[in-house]
This record gives sequence, structure tokens and C-alpha cells, in this order.
Amino acid sequence: MASTFLEYASLFFEKTVFIYGLALLIIYAFLAILSFVNVRLFLRKESYTDYKIIIGSPLAPGISVIAPAFNEGLTIISNVRSLLTFNYPKYEVIIINDGSTDDTLEKVIREFSLVKIDFAYDPKLSTKPVRGIYKSTDDAYAKLIVVDKENGKAKADATNVGINVSAFPYFLCTDVDCILHEETLQKLIRPFMEEESKRVIATGATLRMANSCEIDKGVILKIKAPRPLLARFQEMEYIRAFVLGKMGWSYVNCVPNVSGGLGMFDKEIAIKAGGYDPASFGEDMELMMRMSRYVQDNKIKTAIRYIPVTLCWTEGPTSLKVFMRQRTRWGRGLMQLMIAHRKMLFNPKYGKVGMVVFPYNFFFELMAPIVEFLGVIYYILLIIFGMVNWPYAIILLVFVYTYSVMISSLAVLWDQLTFQYYKTWKDVVRIASMVFIEMLLYHPLIVIFALRGYYFHLANRKHTWGNMQRRGFKESSEVKPTAATT
Amino acid sequence: MWKDLADLLFQAYEQFSLLPLFIEIALAFIFIAILSTLIAYSAILYRRYKGYVYDKRLAFISPKIEDLITEQVLLNPNLGKDLPIEDIEFDQEALNDKIYRKPFVRQMMIDTLIQYRKNFRGEVGELLRKLYIDMGLEKDSFAKMKTLRWERKIKAVVELTQMDISISDVTILPLTNSGNPALRAAARNAYIQLSKNEPFKFFDIATEPLLPWDQLEMFKIITTTKDIAIPNFSRWVSYSTNKSIVSFCLKLIAHYDQQSAIPAVMDLLANKDHYYRADAINCLGKLSAEVAEEKLVKIYNNQPLNCQIEILKALGRIASGKQLEFLKSEFLYSSNFDIRMNAARSIIKHNTQNSRMMVEELMEMTHEENQLIIKHCLNPLIKY
Repeated sequence: MASTFLEYASLFFEKTVFIYGLALLIIYAFLAILSFVNVRLFLRKESYTDYKIIIGSPLAPGISVIAPAFNEGLTIISNVRSLLTFNYPKYEVIIINDGSTDDTLEKVIREFSLVKIDFAYDPKLSTKPVRGIYKSTDDAYAKLIVVDKENGKAKADATNVGINVSAFPYFLCTDVDCILHEETLQKLIRPFMEEESKRVIATGATLRMANSCEIDKGVILKIKAPRPLLARFQEMEYIRAFVLGKMGWSYVNCVPNVSGGLGMFDKEIAIKAGGYDPASFGEDMELMMRMSRYVQDNKIKTAIRYIPVTLCWTEGPTSLKVFMRQRTRWGRGLMQLMIAHRKMLFNPKYGKVGMVVFPYNFFFELMAPIVEFLGVIYYILLIIFGMVNWPYAIILLVFVYTYSVMISSLAVLWDQLTFQYYKTWKDVVRIASMVFIEMLLYHPLIVIFALRGYYFHLANRKHTWGNMQRRGFKESSEVKPTAATT
Repeated sequence: MWKDLADLLFQAYEQFSLLPLFIEIALAFIFIAILSTLIAYSAILYRRYKGYVYDKRLAFISPKIEDLITEQVLLNPNLGKDLPIEDIEFDQEALNDKIYRKPFVRQMMIDTLIQYRKNFRGEVGELLRKLYIDMGLEKDSFAKMKTLRWERKIKAVVELTQMDISISDVTILPLTNSGNPALRAAARNAYIQLSKNEPFKFFDIATEPLLPWDQLEMFKIITTTKDIAIPNFSRWVSYSTNKSIVSFCLKLIAHYDQQSAIPAVMDLLANKDHYYRADAINCLGKLSAEVAEEKLVKIYNNQPLNCQIEILKALGRIASGKQLEFLKSEFLYSSNFDIRMNAARSIIKHNTQNSRMMVEELMEMTHEENQLIIKHCLNPLIKY
């Protein structure tokens, strides 16, 4: 009976799964080509663009920067200062204190001379109650608004409050502990302003790990590849996902998601789509899906764009426990999203979203960990029953390994073609070396944690919103203690 | 030897063809993957090496170029002697140095001269231009205009514009309507800066859109370039079929406070496109067109929300006081939050005794949410 089962399994894996794997690899190859074309196009445009023009222009559209904060007392002051340094003529920074139990609010009130004000706004998106809205009496912080609200147990709820309070037609969504480049707003607004026949509803840019960078008062002074192995793997993964993946998808207007860490959105469409869903575990992707659904339902020609410039640095988890929690949540969010929007799968009514974006995410993001896991089980069974053709098995393993190395190497190359963020060879080698061991050490973790997320969702396990347990960034003086004394 | 190698390859091929299809595919992919990975890392190595060499060359050349400009232009002894710029001569030996024949150095020279031109106007600026011409660098720029690569063409257009070298209409006008948005924008900006008689001529023939991003630069050029002949932009508001050009002209009309354009702008209030109408209403408000007030109020009820809000804003900007009652009724009876907020703002913006009394009265008679709106609008800490 076991051998009959294995025969069926063998037929399934040798035919269906092989074709599935091959299709995935071909898609990656296409993405690599498309992203290369898109990156080159971007660089050619950048070579003659003078962003200074927008800085003094009365025609620049207003942007609201929305950053929720929960128990960020340790770093909140430098985080807010960092957000107030954008080179842009018309913007406001909205910090939402999501019912912090530490001294986040008190610190901000004290540091920025805030007073509670009578602030009228239209709660177009329903949220947990707002306790108070604060503005600074110091003109230097005129752009700052701090909203204090009851804890909504989700970033989505806090961001929705920010959207309600915001004054401008575009909003930038970020995490308060992210470090953003001073040119973030001018770079991200550009795609909204240069599309000819489509309405751009969202733009995003590359994120990187801030773990080993030199930082001073919330500003990146020197970019370095992360030293901790886990953060370095994540940096590699982000480069591949943003520079190769999203740039490729952006070229054919099929971007599946704009990261919650950094994304600029058309407020009108976001509100009409219902804003962020506080019940979602992948609220950023969920919003994109609903925005796409809304514009397709209303026959609005739209685009979602990505640029290959790193504008945001975030602290990646360095402990396995925190990393597991993050990826489990992502896996859970993906499954939740796929189930909630299953009607979009291969539905021509939703255009590219229904025919490309959703099927890709379903088959190659959601199903991939399941297929991989089953593949491993199948291999183990074959070994137990002595049915492995070792030369062929090794060839297939080498095939998968070399291909994944190639795709990641191309991502590193594309990244180097753009701005050469790493100034030293050592940093390049640090990242490039991850390419060769990622599949053996990091990838299995991703698969296991994603499956854990799927299981949690199917078993309806209660999710607790754990804190990220950030270690905080080392200020430049801490990184180089000798520099201060010499 | 070649025969042995051929035999070996043939045997390998024979063995390969005996393998199952999926193994053949896998082997082919392994070969491609290894090759691509090697190429990727070689490219990274090459690119970083190239960057290193470029930096070295830059470090070597930059001081020489700076010295040349300093000696020949900034410290030129004939400067300030009221000599015509054409009569000021450069040291030909310095200019004919072999180093300035290399394309890399010539391009650096152009880039540096452009940077200097941005900082120096007047006699020094003109002498920098003469140096550009005397070194034959404008020929380099014109040569770039003839290439097929659009980014090279853009570079050429920008260089010639910065150096105030005229480009014939035959060359530049077609580019102002190019299908490539980037080239089109650069050509349009160049045309405005270089054309002495009719800098806005291309507005007449433009069928391609003027994108909001391009409007930023064009607006800056128009509003900051000296000696530019500013026309009455209502001409295009009335006759252009290019919506983006009309929209841009409305912004320019407001900026230059062209009161004579008010009738043409008012004609747009009958346009079918509500985005258009909203732009026109916005423009009328910025022009403080009191003559338009009545019409704005008259059409108010038939407008979509974006136009209604623009009308309320416009009434606040015009602030004649005649429409205070209308604003009051919108504030009191509209169920839309944005309408009430903008009505309140416009009442407060009047800043007259009547309007202040009205605000006080409204604070007493209206409900809590509306009171909050008034407090919000009165708070000087809230800017937007």
C-alpha cells in the first residue's frame, strides 16, 4: 500500500510539481529581465532630474506622513525629529499614540511643547476613540500633529485615525521607528505626477536593514550591511523582493503590495476602499487588494509604482523568536487575504489583479511553502523506502540551488547598478555571501514560519500583538567611540 | 586534438539525450544559472572597478578644470574694463592642451561650466559662455542632439539651454511634442528659455499632455527667468484643446494676477469636465474675481463636491462680504463635513466686523460639532 501511495506521489511530484517549479523559475527569470529594464529606465530619468525644483514650488501637492507609535518611549523623540526633516514644501507629520502604556505621549508633549487643541475632523474610517489631538506652540514644529487614541490592537486602526485627521490628498504610511531619507516625499510623489493616462494610487520604494548603519539623531550617516546573520539574510531578501521583484512587477503594472513600512497612497481611493482593515494580519497587502478591487469595480485606470531607491531603513529582528512571530503573522495575513478575496482569483473582471497578481500570490506565495514542505516529506519517504535515484536527486537539488543563487545574485547586481549603497567591498561580500547559504539556513525558516502562520489561521488561534522588542539604533558616537576622542 | 574534442562532445550529447526530459531541463538550467551567476559577479566587480577608476580620473581632472576656469574667466584681467565680451581673448595654449581633447574631460568641462553659470551671471556668466563656445563644446552638445538615445538628447538640450545657445525652431519645436514625456518636457523648458520672441509658441501646437511633474519645472522657469515676455494666458484658456495646457495656464493666470483673463476663465465654468471647472473656480478665487461671485453661487447647487468646495474657498478668497449669508447657510445646513469646514473657513477668512459677528453668532446658535469646526478654523496652530 505504501509503495502504491509513493507511486502516486512520485507521479504527482515528477510531473505537476516539476512543472510548477519550472513555472516559478521562469517567472523569476522574467521578473529579473523586467526589473533590469525598469531599473535602467529609472536611472536614465534620474540622470537629468533636479528634485530641488519641487522644494520651492507652490504647485507641489501636500502630503500627510502618518506614523503610529505604540510604547516607543525609548526612541520616540529621535524618531519624530527624523520625520520632521523632509525636504519638501508642503507636508504634515501625524504621530498616532496608539494607547501606549509607557511614557511615549508624555515625552512627546514635553519635548515638542504640545498642547491639546480643539480639532475637528470627519471620521470617514471607523476607529477606536480618539482621546485628544495635540499641536505644538513652537513654530519650529508647526508641521507636527500628535493624536492620542485608545489602543486598537492593530497598526491598521491607528493608521486609519491618521488618515481621518490628515489634511492632504496623499498620505505616506510608515512606522515611527523607521528611518526615512530626507528626500522620501519628493521621490515618492513623482510617480503620482508623471503618469500620463493612469491614476497612480500608490508608490513604494526599497527598504533596508538599519541594524549596523551609523545613525545620528534619526539620520543615516553611513550605510553598512548588517552584521547579525539574521538581519543580513533579511537585507538580502529585501533587496531581492524590492529591487528585483517589485521593480519587475511595477514595469507591467502588477505590483502586488506596497510595504507597510514605506508607502505613499492616494487618500481618496484609500478611503473609498475602506482604509486599513484592523482585523487583517497583512493590512498593507489587504489595503492594496481592496484599493485595486475598488478601482476595477469603478473602471478607473490606475497604476501602482515602485522606485529602486532605498528611502527607508528599519530595524530587522535579530532574535529568532521575534523573527518567527513576524513571519508567522505574515503567513497568517497572506492566507487570510487569499481566503477573503478568493473571488478575485482568475476573475477577468479584475483585470491584471484578478488574472496575474492574485493567481501569482495564490500559487507562488501562498502555495509555495506547502509544496516545498510536501516535497521534503516525499523525499524523506523515498529515502526510507530506498526509492531515491540519487544521481537524479542530486541534479535536481543542484538545479534548484544554482537557480536560486542566480536570482539572488542578479538582485545584488541590480542593486549595485542603482546606487552602490555599500561603500566598501566588505559590505558587498557580506551580502553576496548570504546568497550562497540563504537556501540552506534561512529559507527553511521562512517556510516553517509561513506554515505555522497558515496553521494558526486555520486553527483560529488567538494572535497577540507582541512588541517588536527593538534594540534601538546605535548613534554614530556609539558606533565609533574612538572617533570622538581623536 | 579537435577530433578528440568533437568525439567527446558528441559522446556527452549522446549520453545527455538519453536522460529523462526533466533532468535534461534541470542540467540546462544549471548551466545557465552558473553562467549567469558568474556574469553577475563579474559585472559587480567591473562596475565597482569602473567607479573606482572614474573617481580617480575625476580627482585628477577636476582641479585642472577648476584652475582653467579660474585663470581664464574668474581672474581674467580684462574683466571689469568694459570691453565687449567678444573681444576678450583666452590663453589659446591653455585651451589647446591635449587633455581637453578627451571626450570624458570635455564632458566634465561642460558640466563644470554649467555649474559655474548657475552661480555667476553678468559679465562672468557671459565669459563662461564664450569659453564654452571657444573650446568647441557647443559642437559636442549639438552632436548629442543628433543621437537616437533620448537621454543624450535631453542632456544636449539642457546643456545648450544652460549656455544660452539658441536651437533652431526646426530642431526644437518637434521635440516639444515628442511622444517621450521626458524629452518633451526638456524641449519645452528649453524653448521657453531660448525663444526670445514667442517663448510660448509650442502651447499652440502641443497635443501631448503637460504632466504635473513637468509643470513644476516649467512654472519655475517661467516665473524666474528674466526678460521673458509674459503673454496673456487667457488666449490658451479660450482656444487650446489641450486640457493640461489650459490647467497650467490657469495657474499662471493666478500667479501673474491677470485680471483681464477673468471672462475667459469664467467661460470655463460651463465646461463639462468637473476637474476643469474646479481649476477655473480655484483660479477665480485667487484672482479675487468679485464679478464671478454671483455666478459661482448660482451654479453651486448643480456642482459635484470638489467644485462646491472650490466655490466655498473662492468666496473666502474674494471676501466681498456679499455672500456671507450663503456661507452661513451652507455651514448651518449642509450635512457634509467638508462643506461645513470650508464654509466656516471662508467666513473667518473675511475677517471683517460682520464676519466676526457672524462667527460669534454661529458659536452660540449651532450644535457642538459645528462649534468644534469653528474652533478648529480659528486656531492659529492649525495651518492646513
